[in-house]
Amino acid sequence: MLQSCVLPSAASDPLAGNTSPGHPLVSARSLTRIWGKGSAAQVGIADVDLDIVRGEVLAIVGPSGSGKSTLGALLAGIDKPTSGSLVVDGQRVDQMKPDALADWRSRRVGIVFQSFHLLPTLTAVENVELSLELGRDRAKRRVRHRAALEALNLVGMRASHRKLPTQLSGGEQQRVGIARAVVTRPSFIVADEPTGALDQANGHIVMNLLTGLADAGTTVVFITHDLELAATAHRIVRMVDGRIDSITNGGRS
Amino acid sequence: MRAALRHFRRAPGRILASILALTLAVGAVGVVAIPAVSRDAIRTAINDEGIGDIIATTTPFSHAALADLRSIDGLTHLEIASDRSANLADGSDIRLVTFMPGHTLDRLTIVAGRAPSHIDEVVVPPGNSPIGESLAINGVDFTVVGHGTTVWWTSEDAVYAVAGADTRFNRVVAQAERTDETSLQALSERLRSTLGDVGATYAEVPILLVDGRAPIEDALEQVSLLIGLLGVVAGLVALVLLASTTNTLITERTRDVAVMRALGGRSRPIRRRLRRMALGITGVALVLGLPLGIVISNLIARLVLKEFVGITPDTTVDWRVVAGSAVATLLGARMVAARAARRVSSIPLADALRDRDGIGFGRRWHHRLVTRVSTGRLLSRSALRSTMRRPGRSIAMVTQIATAVGATVLIPGLAMSIDRSNVDSLKPWLWAAEATTADPGLALRAVEPDSPTYEERGIRFWGELSELEVEVVGLIEGTKVFDPRLTEGRWITDGSRDAVVSRGFATREEIEIGERITVELPSGPHMYDVVGLSDDFVRAVYINRTTLAADAGVPGGANTIWSTDPAADTPTGLHRYDAVEVRTLDDVLAEYETGTKALVAVFGAIAAIVVGVAVLALISSMLVNLYERRHEFAALQAIGARRRTLRGALIRELLPLALVGLGMGIGLGMLGTRGMICFFESANSIDIGVVDGTGSLPYVAVATVASVVLLGRLIVRMATRRPVAATLRGAA
Repeated sequence: MLQSCVLPSAASDPLAGNTSPGHPLVSARSLTRIWGKGSAAQVGIADVDLDIVRGEVLAIVGPSGSGKSTLGALLAGIDKPTSGSLVVDGQRVDQMKPDALADWRSRRVGIVFQSFHLLPTLTAVENVELSLELGRDRAKRRVRHRAALEALNLVGMRASHRKLPTQLSGGEQQRVGIARAVVTRPSFIVADEPTGALDQANGHIVMNLLTGLADAGTTVVFITHDLELAATAHRIVRMVDGRIDSITNGGRS
Repeated sequence: MRAALRHFRRAPGRILASILALTLAVGAVGVVAIPAVSRDAIRTAINDEGIGDIIATTTPFSHAALADLRSIDGLTHLEIASDRSANLADGSDIRLVTFMPGHTLDRLTIVAGRAPSHIDEVVVPPGNSPIGESLAINGVDFTVVGHGTTVWWTSEDAVYAVAGADTRFNRVVAQAERTDETSLQALSERLRSTLGDVGATYAEVPILLVDGRAPIEDALEQVSLLIGLLGVVAGLVALVLLASTTNTLITERTRDVAVMRALGGRSRPIRRRLRRMALGITGVALVLGLPLGIVISNLIARLVLKEFVGITPDTTVDWRVVAGSAVATLLGARMVAARAARRVSSIPLADALRDRDGIGFGRRWHHRLVTRVSTGRLLSRSALRSTMRRPGRSIAMVTQIATAVGATVLIPGLAMSIDRSNVDSLKPWLWAAEATTADPGLALRAVEPDSPTYEERGIRFWGELSELEVEVVGLIEGTKVFDPRLTEGRWITDGSRDAVVSRGFATREEIEIGERITVELPSGPHMYDVVGLSDDFVRAVYINRTTLAADAGVPGGANTIWSTDPAADTPTGLHRYDAVEVRTLDDVLAEYETGTKALVAVFGAIAAIVVGVAVLALISSMLVNLYERRHEFAALQAIGARRRTLRGALIRELLPLALVGLGMGIGLGMLGTRGMICFFESANSIDIGVVDGTGSLPYVAVATVASVVLLGRLIVRMATRRPVAATLRGAA
């Protein structure tokens, strides 16, 4: 589906590390995140080792407080591990400085949030276009706008591109969020409970969009409570008390 | 208490900024107490020194006149003294007054040491020579034995020794049976008449303390009123700040309130809890602000009284102002909180439970209108729309910037206007040095001396016209020391009863050419014909020297020598005349400058408080803005925005507000300067003229923009301190 986007796919990007199938795109070793110190210390995740290969769809499941969202945030580069290493596409993400990390996020990662986090003052198309602008895309504004419209078209939101987030339903906002995440053709997408705020019908639409991206070569990591949804992934990582309890194959493998 | 701490932990920055700003504002409102504090201080000083109801400086008279003076009707008591000017070894002038041990009026109050009991002992005002030190007055040696008030005191014999064995008196202090204006005027007339019987008269228009009120109180009230207005501005800015903080603190709880309502909570107790929270913040600010107000009002009153009256007052509290500001602040806070609480508790439950931060963007017509603007970078569009998202806050921020800028622009304008007026008031004078007789009266002969350089004798003293104090100047027709700069009419002629009046004063008092005016001289009322108007920025009446000397009761007398010789202030110049004070135009300007500086210092201090309150209010508004948009900033970071990008976005949002605020502030400052100058002009019936402090504008503009940029950086630093994931998790 995404090949129809005016921008080239991640697979053809010369900056995108080793693109051979089966080679891990993401490699986490002893990844640990602890908040606070001493007796007030709170462990998010501890000693997580995980490899994710290119084009893989990985579901992270687990009870509340098990550390699945923390792991997702670390993989997306929006949080820093207390210790351990995280290599994505050959780059040590855990050692990046804030600005470099911001640049990396804008070029390599697409993030889909449970509560969408669209900018309330920008229309749907502007929200999508913003990702390109922040990524210092050197294309002309008209080209960026067209790319944003294409991305919205992919998620079926082309007709509502002038609407503000408050004028959209939850499902529609999430679809705009996905368009925003994919418009920069990232190597991988992290989606934190992307269907958590949606009804079943909208949840299916969103999941179809995400798995469709994987078909186009994008690595997709999604966090969910829904075991049925998790079963649509290649592999399912089950987290308990901040550690990986098990990794099993999903229905896609 | 636990609930209060929980509220505090939720938004410590904003609550502290509010408390601090409100504290400063309540403190600033305390300046309204300055008139009362000053009045109390002056009246305490009057009581301490036993100052009478009539204080008169006279031409010399002998002790024999005392019995006649004391027999005047309407008196309860009268005392006489000798009040002489003298010089210290360093050339500085002092007033030396006879110390009479039995005196109950105009008496010496010892603050340290003891009263003089020997001919070579003197009591000096505090801050001068230490007790035990020896010094020379007019070449006579004295030992300082105590510290008293305002003037220098020594024994009667010592004063005569310093004054060259002149044993006459020149000061009358009287206590009246009735202290209303009419009775005091009548008593003053009887005193003048009795003095006339012994060949003396008033040398200056006597001071009447009508109902115990010192004349300086009017001037202090003028200054205090304007200071009070600035204090009220600070209070209003702080109330806006309180409104904004309270609003946000309450709005933040929209969902909490909705949950409470959903669980069956009634609106009234919920609103009460919300109001209590706002009142808690206000209460803390009051506890800190009221004592601060007392300190500020006393400090400013002390500065003013020390500079203009020469007394150092004790600390005084005006409880009416304390109670008034406490009640007004609490009522204001309650009103603001009640409105916010009512709004939050009346949002439909479904909406309130869904929407944490209040009304979203796009639901109002002006949101949709501004969304149509689709030019420029996306973050610039977002900046514009964010400004329109909460117009109330944007207006508040513009107002806060405008207030700070206005207060900053006002002070240089005020200082420059007064300075320019001072310089202009001296422009008509062409002399290089002026010598005045050290003691009251017209002690000089009005004959031009035989001098190698030009010297001219004349008269300068204070009189009254239209119930206002005016400077009465006696000059000759062909004067070479004064350029009348007539705007209308002609100059006075020798031997006539012509009068030229200051133009601004004449205009305000509706005095016209051809009119006959009555000028109250120390010797009594005298009539003159107005023949011209002079452009001189003061309140003066120019009369022919010979006529004025005769009217003053000393025909052929004078009290001033003017010299056009630039070196006339040297020992070989005007100093060759005994018992005179010599000053140059620069000395006069320096005296003016001291007064201007004191005035500007007082206004500057209160303006600094206004600026402080406004800046704190601005910081608080920006913190509120940051709090409300923290998820927005975090989301931007998550999709790749660098810190610099966020900074740029925020500054793009703030800069237009800063520029509008800057423009408004400059306008307000200039308007404020005009208002204050107009007030001074009309209260004093003089021309001052306005000079806009345009020289300071580039600095103010740079400072405003730099402050906003710095604040923007600070806010972004604060916004990006937490990991993005942590902030976004809070929103989920």
